[in-house]
Amino acid sequence: MTREQFIKRLLEVFGEDNEDVFSKGLENGWLEFEDKLYRDDEINRKNIARIIHLYLLKEKGISDLKDISKAAELRDLYDCRVCANHVAQVYLRDIMSAKELSVNGRFLWFDLNGEDDSAAIEDYLIRAYGITMNAQ
Amino acid sequence: MVNGKMIMDSERPSQITDNRLRFDSFQGSDEPLFPSKKQRLPAMGWNSWNAFGSGNNEELTKAMIVKIKELGLDDFGYKYVVLDDGCYRPERVIGHLESDPVKFPSGFKAMADTVHAAGLKFGMYNDIGTKLCSGAEVGIYKHEKIDCEDYINWEIDFIKVDNCYYMWDNATFADPENAIYSYAPNIRSITIAGSTYSAVNDADITGTRASVKDDYVTFIGTFDGTAPDHSPAGNRSSELVFEVETDEPGIYELVISYATGKEEGVGRWLQIAVNSDVVFDDMLPETESPESFTDSAPIKLKLVSRFNRIRIMNHRRQENTLNSYTEIRKELENFGKDRDIVFSICEWGKTQPQNWGHLVGDSWRILNDITFQVGADGNNGTAAWESDYTTSITSQYNKAVIMDEFAGLDKGWNDPDMLVIGMDGITETMCKSHMAMWCMMNSPLMLGMDLRRVNKGDWMYNLITNEDLIALDQDLLGIQAKRIFTTIKCEDPSNEYIRDNNRVDVLAKPLDNGDVALAFFNLKNEEHSARISVSVDQIIGFISNKMSKSVVENFKNASSYQLKDLFTKDCKESSDKTFSVDSISACDCVVYRISLVA
Repeated sequence: MTREQFIKRLLEVFGEDNEDVFSKGLENGWLEFEDKLYRDDEINRKNIARIIHLYLLKEKGISDLKDISKAAELRDLYDCRVCANHVAQVYLRDIMSAKELSVNGRFLWFDLNGEDDSAAIEDYLIRAYGITMNAQ
Repeated sequence: MVNGKMIMDSERPSQITDNRLRFDSFQGSDEPLFPSKKQRLPAMGWNSWNAFGSGNNEELTKAMIVKIKELGLDDFGYKYVVLDDGCYRPERVIGHLESDPVKFPSGFKAMADTVHAAGLKFGMYNDIGTKLCSGAEVGIYKHEKIDCEDYINWEIDFIKVDNCYYMWDNATFADPENAIYSYAPNIRSITIAGSTYSAVNDADITGTRASVKDDYVTFIGTFDGTAPDHSPAGNRSSELVFEVETDEPGIYELVISYATGKEEGVGRWLQIAVNSDVVFDDMLPETESPESFTDSAPIKLKLVSRFNRIRIMNHRRQENTLNSYTEIRKELENFGKDRDIVFSICEWGKTQPQNWGHLVGDSWRILNDITFQVGADGNNGTAAWESDYTTSITSQYNKAVIMDEFAGLDKGWNDPDMLVIGMDGITETMCKSHMAMWCMMNSPLMLGMDLRRVNKGDWMYNLITNEDLIALDQDLLGIQAKRIFTTIKCEDPSNEYIRDNNRVDVLAKPLDNGDVALAFFNLKNEEHSARISVSVDQIIGFISNKMSKSVVENFKNASSYQLKDLFTKDCKESSDKTFSVDSISACDCVVYRISLVA
């Protein structure tokens, strides 16, 4: 799924108009200019996490969880200073799950640069929508 | 070949042709790397990262400038306004950097002009790798000339250079297999002049990084200092040293029994030195696994005497990073000879920059970030007092507090990251100790809150403008405080890496006018109710080598001292030769400036 397709689908799931998605997201600060510039690139997991987190925060008023220490069980959480909080928020809210690796023992990781199929992404969006429903 | 692909010359670390960039020169050489490098006090200012993360923009930055002026923060020394990550257009335009067109529509030069018009100084950000941490494909690698020329044209006064997507180490977002560059292969033996020397039985291992495994030595390289796991003190790199005796000087062939890997601890890059001369500095052919040993091709060595120290090593983790920072500084100086630019190294302590940062930079980060929960417009972000990782005030303090010997006016400053005062998750008391710690440790003071939340007379304002504390940070003597006592049992409080926060530390710091700053930090989450005292002799014993003889004598022999509490401003006189506090609240501190009365 490309970045643009993801953003459009996000807005569809939340029942919003998905025309001119970039200007709205950029204006409200839940999209980056790179999302527009690389609209046709496949979206990776760290960018899915970023967009979902910021959309929930800025458009839906879902405040951040303050204690993200449990997310430190993700081996690669601190590999990314710009996305660590995005990843932690969607992980701890059970919107996106970890992957399990068995290298010198078993551990969890987020796979920041990995890509997911459409079904998995759809699932994330439905879970994100569920968060806003529960918050009402 | 790595993973079946050929490593092209252009994809390998540069050859090091300047010996001043070598490990052996880290403690100085006859000719400094940058004679123009100034002695300067720790930088003070505001940086966008902790306040707004990637969400900073022109409007917010202008609002911060207005608040700096309104609050008069520049009068207290906060002069630099630094745009951190997230401000660039994510790709180059005709090879050049540009501002993000949505966030900074007027461009960087206009932003710089606005900052300068307010009498402030302008700072920017980049990475030594191929991309910025945000992922923007505008890392400075291979663009040093063009970027530095642009930075000079934009009239920057400060640059923070990060370490994401670095090519030659397993830094953030870099390939973990870059360990091939930062560690030597596992070594089983060397053969020279017909004699075979076992790595395990016949060589000395320097430092504590390398270790013996079965019949070979592994982890020949440098500790990764990004996480708080390892002490910064002592020798952070290991070599394998063979004392080799030959019949006579001459050319000899050396064969090494080695096995390569591509993970932290075992790589492919090998350096060989005979005494202090590096005679080999290159990658060895890959072996099947880190335990399938093979013999290297013969390597010719010139032995100039009968007794030789043959050093098997890999200092490239440090040397490559230093080299990358050096390239940037060179180009900044090339294009802006007269421009006074603070050079802030931000490689997160990964390559032990306390060993080499002073050659090129004005400060060097000592760990990964102090928080990953940065703020946004309308969100204060979150920080912590303690954590298992680097993400807390005490994690940063615990490492920085024993790094005083690496810092100084003639070197630069340890940087335990930007201030988190004003973020959620920490109390006013914790912020008070945080500010005092950073000032005692001569850390750069970069504010990281949305300044629109600060008003004259409120607790944040009073704390960040505490002139007595700032005076410690900016003291002209430029000596980082030394820990002279801790309530936890240890052999040497000044040098021992302690991560258990169930303690009180006492730090002493000599000052330019002969005064001494003395700080008591309670790191515990509960009150410390037992009296803690340190004597004049104890203070002198730890810091007298940083003071002139006459100052030491005067301090030692004074009949009376004035103690000024730098928070309450209360002054008291004492003729005691010990200085005490009876109790300290949880996470609190007491800081005295001690002056001689008579």
